[in-house]
Amino acid sequence: MLRALVPVLLLVVLVGLSVALDRPQPPADFTFGNGNDVTTLDLQKMSWMQDLRVARLLFEGLAANDVFTDGYDPIPAAAERWDISEDGREYVFHLRPTAKWSNGEPLRAGDFVFAWRRAILPDTAADYSGLFMFIEGAQDFADWRADALAEFARSRPANQGTAARAQAARDLWAETERRFDEVVGVRAVDDRTLVVRLDRPVPYFLDLCAFATFYPVYPPLVRQYDRLDTETGRIIAEAGWTQPPRLISNGPFKLTVWRFKRDMRLEANEHWWDADSLGVRSIAIPSIEEPNAQVLAFRTGSVQYLADVTVPYRREMHARKQEFYREHWNDYVRLLAEGHDQFEIDRRLPDDPRAHVHVVPAFGTYFYNFNCRPALPDGRPNPFADARVRRAFAMCIDKRAIAEEVRGLGEPVARTLIPAGSLGGYESPRGLDCLSDASDEAGRQAIAGRARALLTEAGYDDPSRFPTVEVLFNKDAGHDLIAQSVARNWQKYLGVPVRLAQKEIKVFRDDLKNHNFMTSRAGWYGDYGDPTTFLEINRTGDGNNDRAYSSSEFDALLDDAARETDPARRMALLSEAERILVERDLPLVPIFHYCTVTMFNAHELSGPNPHPRTNENIFLYDVLGDGKGSDRVRTMPLHPRGPAASAAGGAAP
Amino acid sequence: MIVRRLVQLPLIVGVIYTLTLVLAWKVPGNPLENPEGRKPAPEVVEAMKAQYNLDNFGKFYWSYLDSATGVKWVRESLSGEADRREREAIEAGLIPPGRFIFDLGPSLQYKDYRVNDIVAAALPVSVTLGAAAMLLAVVIGVTAGVVGAARPNSIADLATLAVALVGISLPSFVIGTVLLLVFGVWAAALPVGGWGGPEQMILPAVTLSLPFAAYIARLTRMGMVEHLSSDFVRTARAKGVHELRVLLRHALKNAFLPVLSYLGPATALAMTGSFVVERVFNVPGLGQHFVNAVQNKDLFLIMGVVLVFATMLILFNLAVDVLYRWVDPRIE
Repeated sequence: MLRALVPVLLLVVLVGLSVALDRPQPPADFTFGNGNDVTTLDLQKMSWMQDLRVARLLFEGLAANDVFTDGYDPIPAAAERWDISEDGREYVFHLRPTAKWSNGEPLRAGDFVFAWRRAILPDTAADYSGLFMFIEGAQDFADWRADALAEFARSRPANQGTAARAQAARDLWAETERRFDEVVGVRAVDDRTLVVRLDRPVPYFLDLCAFATFYPVYPPLVRQYDRLDTETGRIIAEAGWTQPPRLISNGPFKLTVWRFKRDMRLEANEHWWDADSLGVRSIAIPSIEEPNAQVLAFRTGSVQYLADVTVPYRREMHARKQEFYREHWNDYVRLLAEGHDQFEIDRRLPDDPRAHVHVVPAFGTYFYNFNCRPALPDGRPNPFADARVRRAFAMCIDKRAIAEEVRGLGEPVARTLIPAGSLGGYESPRGLDCLSDASDEAGRQAIAGRARALLTEAGYDDPSRFPTVEVLFNKDAGHDLIAQSVARNWQKYLGVPVRLAQKEIKVFRDDLKNHNFMTSRAGWYGDYGDPTTFLEINRTGDGNNDRAYSSSEFDALLDDAARETDPARRMALLSEAERILVERDLPLVPIFHYCTVTMFNAHELSGPNPHPRTNENIFLYDVLGDGKGSDRVRTMPLHPRGPAASAAGGAAP
Repeated sequence: MIVRRLVQLPLIVGVIYTLTLVLAWKVPGNPLENPEGRKPAPEVVEAMKAQYNLDNFGKFYWSYLDSATGVKWVRESLSGEADRREREAIEAGLIPPGRFIFDLGPSLQYKDYRVNDIVAAALPVSVTLGAAAMLLAVVIGVTAGVVGAARPNSIADLATLAVALVGISLPSFVIGTVLLLVFGVWAAALPVGGWGGPEQMILPAVTLSLPFAAYIARLTRMGMVEHLSSDFVRTARAKGVHELRVLLRHALKNAFLPVLSYLGPATALAMTGSFVVERVFNVPGLGQHFVNAVQNKDLFLIMGVVLVFATMLILFNLAVDVLYRWVDPRIE
C-alpha cells in the first residue's frame, strides 16, 4: 500500500517546492491593465498600442507630446531645445546635459543616429520605417541597401568559400555604414548636438520625434545581439536585449521584471533627468488578456486603471454611466458648460462605481472598402471600378443606425475619414450625404432615388441584375452585425442582390491584400498628428491601399502638399484631397469614428487625458491621496460653452 | 525495457516533429504580418522570411533540427564562437546573452522572446498547476470512490456518482466561471486570477481537477465493487478483519492500480491541456500556447511546444510504467 502512495507523494513534493520557490512581488504604487500583453520592447520594431504605452514609460525621445493641450503640443524631452531653419528642412537638437541612460552613462546624439539607422535599414524590417523616409537621403539609402542585399543573395561565385563569403558580408556592411553617414541627413555634430536634414518641410516632424520608433536605443547593448548573417549579408537582430536585467533605457522608468504572460514591473529610473516629478515610483503591469478578467480585476481593486476595455457588455456599462449623469443632471450640465474635460467632470461629481467607465473619442475611423480594380480576381468586370457606383452604395448606408444601434457607445457618425476637429488648423470637407441625413422614410427614399439614378447613369438600369455584391468581413468583434445592417440597406434602398462573406481573420487579411473582394469592412487609426496619416493609405501603390484606389489627381494633391511650405495652404490642399476621397471618388465609406473605453476612478487617479489622440503618458499618473508625488490633478484646458450646446451634447467635449 | 523505450523516444519525437511541421507549414497566413493594417513593403517581408528560413521548407526543417537537438550548441562551443561573444559582452560592461543547448528558436509573435524563454516561464506554472490538480483529483476521486463502493446504491453512492457525472460532463469554462463568480466575486474570498501565491492556485486547480477526480472516482468505485465481492475479501471478513481495514488494505490496494496507470497520461494532460482553465483564471501556463501559436502561425513556438509536450508525454508514460511494476511486481 505504501508503495502505491509514492506517486501521490511525488505530486505533493512538486507542488510544495514550486509554491516555496515562487515569491510574489511586493505591491507597486500603481497597477494597470495594458489591454494586451506587450509583444516587443524593441522600439524600432513596435507598432502595437500596448507596446507604445510601455515604451513611453521606459524611453524618451527628443520631444514629447504635452497630452494636456488641445494640440498635443511637442515639448522638450531628451532635447532641451531645438532650432528649425527658415525653410523648415533643418532641425538642430540640443540634448539635455542631464539626459542619461539607466546605467548612468550619458545619452549621446550618436545614440539617436544609431537608432534611426536601425529603423531605416531594410534588415530591421521596421513596421514604421516609412516614417523616416522624408529624412534627406533615407529613401535612397534604404533602396540601395535593399538592392545590395538582393545582389549579395543572388551572386555567389562558384569558388567562394565560407570565409570569403563572410568577408564579403563584412565588406558590404562596412560600405553600408560608410554610405549611411555620407548620404542620410542625420548627423551627430558632437555628443550633445543632433542635426537632421529633411527632404522637404514636414510640419509634424516634432510630433514624430515624440513617437516611440524615433526614441534612442543603447548602442553597445543592441550591437551585442546583432549578428551579420554570412549567407544573406543581413544584420540579424536576435531576441534578448529587451529582457531585464539586460535592458538599458533612458526614460522615467526602468524595467526590473518581465515574466512572460505573467507580469511586468517598472521602477523609477533614478538617472532620469526629471525623476523627482514622478507621482508613482513603481508600476506593476499584470498580464490579463481576457477582457472579462480585466474588468473583474478592476472591480476587485487589483488594478487601478484599464487602458482598453473590450468586453461585450461595455455598452451596458456606458448606458449605466449615462444613467448616473442623469441622476446628477444639473451639476453635470453646469460642469459641461464651464468647459471641464470629461474626466474632471467625473472627478467633481460624487464618487460612484458607475462613473468608473470612460468612453473617449479616438483618432480612428471604421469604414467600408470598395475594390477599385477594373476586374475582379475571377476575371469578371468589377462594377465598383466606377466611382458613380461607389458613390451610390456609399449614400445608401444608414451610418447612424450602425453607430447607435449596433455599436451603442456614442461613437460619432463619420462623414470623413479623418475625425473632424481632431487636428488643429485642418478643415474637414463636408462629406457625402447618406441615409442617416434624412429625418424620415421619405427623405431616405429621396436619397436612395439619387443613388439609383447614379447606378442608371453607370449603365445598371435594372438593379436586380446588378452582379451579386459580396461583403467581406471577419467574424469577430461584431463586424457581422454591421455587415448585416449594410447589406439590408443596399438590398432595400438600391435593390441589388447582396451576399455576406464571413471569413476567418487570416483568410480575411489575405483576401484584402490580394484585392480578392468587392466590398469589405476596414479601420484605421492615425499614427501622428497630421492629415497625411489617414490620406497616404489611399495613394497609388501604398502598402495599406487595400482598395487598389489610384487617382493621379489625388496623388498630385498629396505631392503638392508635401512641397508646400505655407502651413495654411498645405492644409487646404490636404483638405481638397480628402474631399475627393469622401465626396467624389469614394474608394471607402467612412461609417463611424472609434471610441476608446478605459476604466479608472477619477477621484483616485490623476493623469489620464481624454484627448482623441489617446496616447496615455502613464509617467504623469498620480494616485491621489497616497502621500506620494505631488497629488496634483492634471486637466485639459477649459472650453466653456453655451448651455444649449451642453444640454444637447453627449459626454465627449 | 527502459533502455528500449529511451531509444524509441527520439524516433517518436522525430516523427511527431515531421508531421507537425508539415501541418503547421500548411496553415494559411503570414506569421510575420501584423494583424491590423500596417503592412511592410514586399521586399521587407521577403527579407524577414529569408531570415527565419520561412521561404524554404527543407531549409527550415534542417536548420530547426540543427539548433533544437543541440548540434549547433556543440558546434559553437567547440569553435570558440560562444566564448568570444561572452568575452566581448563582459568587456563592454554588459550581461552576456543567454545560450540554450536545445535552442527552440525565436518566437515570431513574441519578438522579444526565444521559445526556450517562453517554455521556461510557462512550463513550471503548468507543471505546478497540473500536479496540484492531480493531487486534488486523487484525494477527491479516491475518497468518493471508496465511500460509494462501501455502500453501493446508497444515497452517498448516488450523490458521488451524480457529482462525478457533473464533473465529467460540465466543461471547465462553466465550472471555472461559476467558481470564479462565487468565490472570487461574490464571496471575494479568493483572487479572481493571476499566478503567484498559493491562494491564486486554489480555484484553477480545483477547476482543472474536477473532470479527473470524477473519472478517478468511477475507476475506484468500479475496482472497489469488483474486489469487495472477491474471494480474498470474503476470507478477510471471515477472519474478522475490521471493515475499514478490509476496505483500505485489501480492496483499495488492488482497486488503486487502474487509477495509477491512469495517472500517467492524466498528469501529462493536466499539465499541458489546461488552455481553458488558464484563460478563465489568467494563469500564465503552457496550454495557451498550443492554441495561440497555431492561430498566430508562430512556427517556432508551435514546434517548440509540441516537442516539449511530446517528450513529456512519453517520459510520463515511461515513469508510470516503471512505478507500476514497482508497486505491483506481478506485472511483467
